[in-house]
Amino acid sequence: MRARRLAIAAGVGAVSVAALTLLRGRRNGLPGTRRLRLERGLAAVRLAARGGARYATSAPRLFASAGEHRQALRNDLALQTAEDVTATLGTMKGVLMKLGQMASYVDDGLSPAARRTLSRLQDSVPPMSPELAAQVITEELGQPPDQAFATWDPEPIAAASIGQVHRAITRDGRAVAVKVQYPGIAETIEADLGNVALLRRMLKITAPMQDVDALLAELRERVTEELDYRREARNQQMFARYYAGHPTIGVPGIVPELCTRRVVTSDLADGARFADLLTWSQAERDLAAETIYRFVFRSLYGAQAFNGDPHPGNYLFRPGGRVTFLDFGLVKYFTGDELRPLVAMVKHLCVDNDPEGFRRAMEDAGFLMRGAPLPTDMIVEHMAVFYDTVRERGSRTMTGAYASAVTRRFFDFRSPLAAYVQIPRSYVILQRINLGLFALLGELSATADWRCIAEEIWPFVQGPPCTPMGVAEAGWRAGKLSRDQVERPQVPGR
Amino acid sequence: MTTGSYADAAGLVERSAAAYAAAVPVTPQDDGFFGPGSVTWRVSMDLAAPVAGLRSLLIQALHPLAMAGVDQHSDWRTDPVGRLAATSAYEVTVTFGDRASATRAAQRVRAVHEHVRGVDPVTGQPYAAGDPALLLWVHAALVDSGLATSALFGTPLTAADADRYVAEMTIAAELLGVPHEMIPDSVAALDRYFDGVRADLRRTPAAGESMSYLLDPPGLDVDIAELWQDIRDAAVLALPGWAVQMYGYAEPPPLTAERRTEIRQALGVLDAVFLGEPGVLEARQRIIARMRSAGKKRADAT
Repeated sequence: MRARRLAIAAGVGAVSVAALTLLRGRRNGLPGTRRLRLERGLAAVRLAARGGARYATSAPRLFASAGEHRQALRNDLALQTAEDVTATLGTMKGVLMKLGQMASYVDDGLSPAARRTLSRLQDSVPPMSPELAAQVITEELGQPPDQAFATWDPEPIAAASIGQVHRAITRDGRAVAVKVQYPGIAETIEADLGNVALLRRMLKITAPMQDVDALLAELRERVTEELDYRREARNQQMFARYYAGHPTIGVPGIVPELCTRRVVTSDLADGARFADLLTWSQAERDLAAETIYRFVFRSLYGAQAFNGDPHPGNYLFRPGGRVTFLDFGLVKYFTGDELRPLVAMVKHLCVDNDPEGFRRAMEDAGFLMRGAPLPTDMIVEHMAVFYDTVRERGSRTMTGAYASAVTRRFFDFRSPLAAYVQIPRSYVILQRINLGLFALLGELSATADWRCIAEEIWPFVQGPPCTPMGVAEAGWRAGKLSRDQVERPQVPGR
Repeated sequence: MTTGSYADAAGLVERSAAAYAAAVPVTPQDDGFFGPGSVTWRVSMDLAAPVAGLRSLLIQALHPLAMAGVDQHSDWRTDPVGRLAATSAYEVTVTFGDRASATRAAQRVRAVHEHVRGVDPVTGQPYAAGDPALLLWVHAALVDSGLATSALFGTPLTAADADRYVAEMTIAAELLGVPHEMIPDSVAALDRYFDGVRADLRRTPAAGESMSYLLDPPGLDVDIAELWQDIRDAAVLALPGWAVQMYGYAEPPPLTAERRTEIRQALGVLDAVFLGEPGVLEARQRIIARMRSAGKKRADAT
């Protein structure tokens, strides 16, 4: 029974962290039989990595070798009709792409080559022809792009996971990015996720201990959410409003009248990519890291929302720590009841130094079985790694090793705690803090007094600013408080 | 002999993929014997093509003389994966290659066939691989399988396109030396051919062993083996009733819509794996680009 509880927790955790963390063919962190089972359980996703990754790497070679015919060839291969979309992404290929994309968020255990290739997965699908993109715009906005917009660039500027992004200027002069979904892709993916016999079999034969149907339900819910761009537009609008006027956090505004199920229009943002940031000075990298850190925890404690897509490809950087956050397809909103025990855990462990209180909060949150026959100091010892950067004041440098340690601890099935610990479904997404945020800051080798910044944000401390960015943010908050009395931020429902 | 005398099937996907990628021409001199507007190209590109391949082998093995030739002369037992990869590469060359490449490939096969002669231990009859009757049998099984599997698991052809496909494919048999007048050139003629040849068919021990091996090849990666179960079930589902009876397979349960979807999904995943192998995507795109531009030219002409 205990083992089953754990397996379910681990399974759901895995799915939500990366739809199928399972994908990671070579994970070194998992000991013993559990590791074997999980690795084999990843069969479906390993296929995605195998197929998808090499699919991605081989695509550009065609265009390179084609020389001057390259553009002609690209035009020939462009998706011309919804039938082309179905032929290219139907019968599981769209689902595999989604799995590959989700898996690419997971840092631990994926080799740099696999990460690189998985993140390029979406490049492997040819773009829509200008006519097909225009057709989607016409269907969604009621008029062709050259009437819906003052200016429309028919050449896409970027691939999105299930669509592509065009530049345009609205009729009232706003420069915008318009994300256009492939026609038919939502129906195709929904159809494939509506019949999960194959996925269930591939998971079940290899992971008999796991609640495969719970895994699949979670997967289906996540993917289905991302197929409806209206949800993404609402999420982004909420974040954009919440951070309006913030000194370093930017969220492109939404143009609601130009958003539909398959089109999302937002202000055009620009900036350097994560790969460029890695070449900037350490001081700049530290500032960018501080902004990302503030964004994650301000969103969680302030907006009670968490962007579950902490992917370096979704950030644009400018000097001075200014970061623009893109892509709000996967956002989790927390209720007060869901957030309260999380806050209590931090408070008891890091501020009050009250181990028994910490344990009770863990039980209240559903992380720890009540009455588990384990000494409290062992529980604290086990969990401490998650709070390592905020237990004490002082400057600390994030490392890849720390990010890996956090992830390993999450998947540590050998620990005596394992049988009594689980991750309730509403918190599963928070593992992306570990997998996304810490891994990212580790890659930046970011240094800061994280505890001091956290104290600014923790609602039970609300400490004074401890960095220049903190001072600037305090000014934003002061203005925000007076604004919010006039206009409460709207939290969109599910 | 037992199935234990076969080499295992490790590398099936990788080697088939390599053979495929190498066989799709990069700079063809002409459109070959079929061309990008042909039904044959569409059938070859169909999602169900792997099922068609397996179903062809299941049927082909039921002719004792054809089976004896393979069993006694080819490297089928020592290198089954290499044999399958070479066969599919040949089909790809004939289908997508230019006329010179297709003709050369066929001449090589005919040269090999010259030496494949013997006596079938089961029926006691002499055989020769160059015998037009045997070549026609192999051809007919392939064509019939393309029709059957695309109808069940892929994109079904219209009746007119099905006839066109059978007629287009006659050239493939001619290339190997079958006189034109022997070759069925319509679905009805193909059906008549099968009715006429039925009495010659039986499941010999060699056929039983070979097909047991193919239906459950040892040595596949665990994920590929899981997918192979669906390919195998699909191939058996697509067999004519007489073939199922000769093999003594349990009558497969009727194909529900859900099961069909599941099989198509398995084919889709397998195809994604195949596309992930080096060179396959480029090869596939070379074909699609030719088909697209042929379609455009047709549209412009009308």
